[in-house]
Amino acid sequence: MNMTPAPQAHAPLVHLIDDDAAVREALALLIGTVGLRVDSWADPLDFLARFDRQAIGAIVLDVRMPGIGGLALLQQLVAQGVDQPVIMLTGHGTVEMCRRAFKAGAAEFLEKPVDDELLLEALQNAVRQHVRSRQRQQADRASRERYAQLSGREREVLGLIVEGLTNKEIGRALVLSPRTVETHRANLFDKLAADSLAQLIRRYAALVEGDLAP
Amino acid sequence: MASCVRIRAMRELPRALWWLLAWAVLTAAGGVLLASLALERERGAFETDLRIVHRLLSQRVVQHDAVLAMLALLQPDGQEAQADGALARLPSVYPQILAVQRSDAEAPWRDAALVAAQAASRAAGRAVLADVDFAQGRYRVVLAAQPAAYGLQIDVRSMVPWSEWPMAEQDSPVAIALARGTQRFVLQAGRAPLRGWSFDFHKTLAADSQPFEVSAQRTVGWAELPWGQMLALAIGVAALLAAAAWLQGQRAARRRAEELLRLGQVVRLNTLGELAAGMAHELNQPLTALLASTQAARRLIADEPPELDTAREAMARAVEQARRASDVVGRLRRAVERPDLGDRLQSVDMQAAVRQALYLLEPELQRRGVVPQLDWPATGLRVRADPVALEQIVHNLLLNALQALDQMPLAERRLRLSVATEQGQGLLSVQDSGPGITAERLPHVFEPFFSTRSGGLGLGLSLCESLASGMGGSLAAGHAAVRGAVFSLRLPLVQESEP
Repeated sequence: MNMTPAPQAHAPLVHLIDDDAAVREALALLIGTVGLRVDSWADPLDFLARFDRQAIGAIVLDVRMPGIGGLALLQQLVAQGVDQPVIMLTGHGTVEMCRRAFKAGAAEFLEKPVDDELLLEALQNAVRQHVRSRQRQQADRASRERYAQLSGREREVLGLIVEGLTNKEIGRALVLSPRTVETHRANLFDKLAADSLAQLIRRYAALVEGDLAP
Repeated sequence: MASCVRIRAMRELPRALWWLLAWAVLTAAGGVLLASLALERERGAFETDLRIVHRLLSQRVVQHDAVLAMLALLQPDGQEAQADGALARLPSVYPQILAVQRSDAEAPWRDAALVAAQAASRAAGRAVLADVDFAQGRYRVVLAAQPAAYGLQIDVRSMVPWSEWPMAEQDSPVAIALARGTQRFVLQAGRAPLRGWSFDFHKTLAADSQPFEVSAQRTVGWAELPWGQMLALAIGVAALLAAAAWLQGQRAARRRAEELLRLGQVVRLNTLGELAAGMAHELNQPLTALLASTQAARRLIADEPPELDTAREAMARAVEQARRASDVVGRLRRAVERPDLGDRLQSVDMQAAVRQALYLLEPELQRRGVVPQLDWPATGLRVRADPVALEQIVHNLLLNALQALDQMPLAERRLRLSVATEQGQGLLSVQDSGPGITAERLPHVFEPFFSTRSGGLGLGLSLCESLASGMGGSLAAGHAAVRGAVFSLRLPLVQESEP
């Protein structure tokens, strides 16, 4: 069914849900022209049960669908923690419907028939946004893994560094010689793969606070 | 239509029963009230009469005491009495005194009753009753005195002061008797007791010497109840309730007519509204596909190198979707084809239709202080029309005029309705003194969805126009001579030969 020049396998994936086959096929073709992969779904419940949640990309959803309405589906996606941005399409959008869609977490709200520029730009924005959010997630995960390798003493030292204490002050606080503090500090930079103090603090301040809080 | 009427009649049956019940309850309550008032009146009259009777009889028997006391004091001798006639004259003055009897040492009484009474009187120091013979209508009363005692023989019937009697002795329904022990003397027979309500009166005469009991009874029979008044009441209540029912019926009928008219419009407007929403969705889908396909094709052709095969397929899809959209429009046109009013055309009185619409809009007219000025021939102008459609048109035109007048101060609100014949057509003009229609708007007033009111759908006049042309007539809008708008409805006149 896909007649676009086959996009690369790792291209972002757009999930397209609309009960009208003609609309589905035409939109899939249009979206395919900018090198995005498209997964078309006629049945919103089928989509909800089986779609690829890991893929980078976005979701294009028609508001008016049989079975489950577009808005209800959007709410379920958000509730299930799906992080792909959702673009809503509607035949006759009222201000109220638009307001509800954005409140429910839609990334964009477009009226049918939709202009190609508008839809494709919205899709590209959504994909960029999703990529960034996934990268942030990955960075967070890596930081957490490195932080887990620290010894108890190193964590104490890191906590005081984040608070802005000098080596001498840390030594006094933890009853350590400045030399020992210096060793821990070197190990910290090494284990956490930080190049500068600023980077160290930016990446790990949240983790240290989360660790000390309980 | 006939089944409809029958269903309504069935539904209204319980309503009629309710009215009947209300009538029965009100009549019964009023009847009981009237009857008890009448009974109370009878009882009052009875008791008043009997108090008078008691007083009259008491006065008479006290008189007997006085006569005896006078005799005891004067001690008239039998002979002297005969001579001067004092004793003899007594019965002529007091017709109830049949005889005066004297007892002294020379001629004591032999009669045992008199002797015993003399002793009792002496002991009591007052007159006493010697004997009673009510069978003969007589009794004797005795006063002991010195040297002579006296007795009077009294005739009961003569004792009654008939001239002062408060009742008609022969006809009165009240039975009155004097009673002493087991003896009774009937003063007035009254009427035999019948089924009904009875009043009793028992009181002893106010003289110790003649302690007779006045015993009276009066029975008020069913026949004596104020049936005439009750009948009048029943008729009156029925008339009142009938009037109330009629008024309510009128109001309900008016409400129903108003609602029907409004409903007709609402249904039509709703249908149009739904049609529009459905049309929007039905057309949106193919248009979305069409737009996406053509834009995809444009992009594919612009690619380097151009993806011609895919672009061609996209164009084929676009054509398909354009056809789909056109099919939707065709279906729609067939769905809203003007309903044919031809079958429902009949002879309708134009003035009557206007009057009916005015009647339904009366509250609106009053609220706005508008008094329509009517200008039409006395005889009804008969046109060929569907009565409901004609009424709807007139209703809409009037409402339209009223809404235009809302923008004018109270003093400048004029509404003129005229009916006339014009070139074989019946012409109804509705002219208002409102702000009128601007020249650039005039050609569009009958277009659907054209409205000058903020809340208006802009379908009212459009509907009127299609209804008018559906009946072989026309509806036109124009400027009034001075200011305001005038709408002219033209409908074919009924030919003379037609019914």
